[in-house]
Amino acid sequence: MRYSWLYLTGLTVVAPGAAAQLSARTDVSVAGRYVWHGISRAAGLVAQPSLAFGLRVQRLSLESGAVLHYELDAASSGELSETGAGGRHLGEQDVWGAASFVLGPTRLHAGVVRYAFRGDAIVGGIGPASNTTEVFASVSTTSRYLNPSLEAWWDVKRVRGAFLRASLDLPVLGWPFPPYAFVFVQTELGMNIGQGPNPARPGELANFAKRGITHFGLGLGTEVRAGRLGTLAFGARSQLNVDAAAKADGPVRTRDFVVWLWSGVTIVLGGNERRQ
Amino acid sequence: MSRRRRVLAHASVVLLVGCGSTHLHVPGALSPVPRPGTEAVLQAGFARVDITPPPGVGLAGNGPEGGEARGYRLRLYARVLVLADGGGNRLALVVADLGLSSALLHRRVAALTARTDGIGVDRLVIAVTHTHAGPGHFFEAAGYNDQGSSVAGFDPVMVDSLTARIARAVHAAVADLRPARVAWGSRAIWGQTRIRSLPAMLRNIPLPSAPADAPGLPPEYQLVDPELVMLRVDQRDPTSGVFRPAGAFSIFAMHGTGNAPSNDLLDPDIQGIVERRLERHIDGDLNRVSSGFVPRAVYLFANGAEGDVSPAWPPQSRCNVPTLAPLPALNGPFTRTLWEWRAPTATHLGACRHAAREAIDVIGKNVGDGAVALFDALGPALTDRLELGRSFATLFLRDSARALGICSEPALGLSTLVGADDAHTRIDGWRLFGLFDVGLEQGSPNPDVPGCQGHKRQLLDAAFRGLANRLFISGNLPSYAQVMVLRVGNRVIGAVPGEVTTTAGRRMREQMLVSAREAGLPVTAALILGHANGYMEYVTTAEEYTAQYYEGGSTIYGPGEAAMFTRELGRLAASVSRGDSLPATAAPPLDLDVGHQRQILSRTSSADVPTSRIERVWCSAGADTLYARLQLGHAGDWPVTTGDIAAHARVEVVVNDAPRTVVSWDDDPALEMHLRSRRGGLAWWELRWSGATGGTYRVRIPGVTESDPVGCSLS
Repeated sequence: MRYSWLYLTGLTVVAPGAAAQLSARTDVSVAGRYVWHGISRAAGLVAQPSLAFGLRVQRLSLESGAVLHYELDAASSGELSETGAGGRHLGEQDVWGAASFVLGPTRLHAGVVRYAFRGDAIVGGIGPASNTTEVFASVSTTSRYLNPSLEAWWDVKRVRGAFLRASLDLPVLGWPFPPYAFVFVQTELGMNIGQGPNPARPGELANFAKRGITHFGLGLGTEVRAGRLGTLAFGARSQLNVDAAAKADGPVRTRDFVVWLWSGVTIVLGGNERRQ
Repeated sequence: MSRRRRVLAHASVVLLVGCGSTHLHVPGALSPVPRPGTEAVLQAGFARVDITPPPGVGLAGNGPEGGEARGYRLRLYARVLVLADGGGNRLALVVADLGLSSALLHRRVAALTARTDGIGVDRLVIAVTHTHAGPGHFFEAAGYNDQGSSVAGFDPVMVDSLTARIARAVHAAVADLRPARVAWGSRAIWGQTRIRSLPAMLRNIPLPSAPADAPGLPPEYQLVDPELVMLRVDQRDPTSGVFRPAGAFSIFAMHGTGNAPSNDLLDPDIQGIVERRLERHIDGDLNRVSSGFVPRAVYLFANGAEGDVSPAWPPQSRCNVPTLAPLPALNGPFTRTLWEWRAPTATHLGACRHAAREAIDVIGKNVGDGAVALFDALGPALTDRLELGRSFATLFLRDSARALGICSEPALGLSTLVGADDAHTRIDGWRLFGLFDVGLEQGSPNPDVPGCQGHKRQLLDAAFRGLANRLFISGNLPSYAQVMVLRVGNRVIGAVPGEVTTTAGRRMREQMLVSAREAGLPVTAALILGHANGYMEYVTTAEEYTAQYYEGGSTIYGPGEAAMFTRELGRLAASVSRGDSLPATAAPPLDLDVGHQRQILSRTSSADVPTSRIERVWCSAGADTLYARLQLGHAGDWPVTTGDIAAHARVEVVVNDAPRTVVSWDDDPALEMHLRSRRGGLAWWELRWSGATGGTYRVRIPGVTESDPVGCSLS
């Protein structure tokens, strides 16, 4: 956390003032499930406040942020939870930094995420022993109907392997008058290519059970602009789980298919990103 | 009731009031029986009033693509001609530089002028030029206030301001009544307009054909009604007793869509150029007087059957529309994708707006030259004989639908939502997932739609038939139509509250002429005056309706509309009367749902006006554009606060010579006034004048200050 603030301060200092655009974004999301890379980490109500800052100079952007994952339901023994049974508090806190480069409709991203878990492994949660770091790179592009994105993730600390995520966002409809509203569909596919068990090092931790497709995701969301800065959103996500790790829904329970609802509030400040 | 419940109840009431529509009960003031005047001859009086609102209003006419006004180019005016015959019959013609006419505005003005000048709803025509760069917020139906532009809402201050200004101008025109001589005439102006929905027009039976003398142009240019019809008016000079050219009233079918839809300046469009061209000609060339900032002559340039008629703008003058795209900012690994309507680049917008301005100037000059030639040609035909008459009816479109032969529930077609050729909206051509046609395109009828609105593809009609229209659209559309026929000499004029297509207009004119002649009126021609006394969108023929182009989708009461207006105009043409008062049934009260009330204009007048000042003046790198930063009054001020016309410009560009020769002012197509800031409640403007041709200039605020000289030497 400390390093991310230093990083942000550095960004501000090195940026040439005239051409630079600073922006900030804060989100508060509430969801019925916390899923990351296809793996369910908490099955109850989760609140996820986040804060991010960005600095754009011409085509290059430097961004950084932090997100907290609070479990609002007290999980009982046998339920999926980051905090563990009886907990109702912070389960995870993550910081990230990234650089992006815009080339016409295409956007290139590269960055790093540090995951810090605050649960208690003794009561079934995810504790600091699982803390890790991933680096990622992605390429995304936009067109009138299709907005595909391909991400590659490397766990560089704990699991030491790669995971691929392909997603496709499709706008269904946009309301052209203020307050602007949008309906969209999100699809995603996860593929494990190196975060499974390593036969050469059987003691090493793994995120997935085997190589190959881990999950298919499909969601429908609605977003309504509230004023110039704010956005309200809600939607539903579903996921067809393929990998055993994605199916895990607690110490002893598995689910092939999960559905959950989510909602969120976002405020974006600065920059000239929100022109319409 | 507990405190918590009381708070909840109060909050609910506030929410309901805040979210609810505004309903108005608007009586119709008919004219009293006219009293013969002292002058037993034809009289005419002219007036004009500045109706340019402050920035911040929505530019109505382009739906979601209509932006918020950031300033102005040419001033918006309402021009008035009052005609009076020896029997005391008066007709007041108002043509305002506005986007849409409004029955609410018409009735509010008539309520004042009926008392002061004996001009009620039946003797008052308020028509608009249909500029798409005029303000909204004063319309009679919720849909046009709430979705007429990207700035939503009905503002009673806009209604009151326009009402007071126009009523005052009518009163001034009555005060200006003087013996007059008039002449009707017409002239074909080819090549400046075109049919924008040719496939729909070509469905008509019989097939429309170009006149034999049409020049060799593409069909869409040949099939327009090219006639500019003009009533020239000369007034007797009170000192010399000589009749001098004073102004004119004319009708020409052409959309006010020269400006690009992304334009953000108030502007009277091509019509404003045409008006000024003839007015300056009358002042300078014919009367040899210096007209100053505001011309003395007054030219009312009204619109005709322009429903399917565009000005001949070039393709590069239409800007791209915003596209739906993910917001790129701060899209980190844990944040979800946000969406936005992404605007085209500033470079693109600048280029297409520039192309549009050039087209406006060229088309305006060409049509204006035609108007000048026609005005001059009418000199020998002037006469002091002009019979005046009128008939007037209010149609209850929903309640009397069966009797009128129209659908009882108005509906918008999907082709309306995508915009016309002049201004496609951002959802034009949208397909579900890029694959499935959902009807969001022009010329996409659905012949399987049952019922009165057959062929019209409506919102979600495949799944819910007319339910979505009934729930979300129908109630926001107008319920009344005020229809009027004027007799002005040997012409009858049908005033229609909408946009009539060329072929529908031709049929209406033919019927009016037949009916008027059968009633014994010695008329030689019939005219259609569109955008008059209200607005109920488009009127296509039944054949055109089946094509469901933009105009057909916007013919809200179905395919029987044109036939209804043809019958009603024929009936009214046969019942034109004079010297009488119409029965109250001609103008019963209207119950209007005008939409959500919002404060768009300032409620307070600026009593403490700071001294205006010029901060900075400079030339662009290429030295063809002069810029100035200046502070002029309060941010919410109208350029003319009193409801009159300006005695002089707010700002001028002068040559740096001894007499300070004025080369531009804030009513010049080459000069734009952009509001840059409302800092401290004051208006900080940026002036841009693109007429610099080398030399040294100053910017001047008349009577206040002038800048130091700035050299704009062309490189």
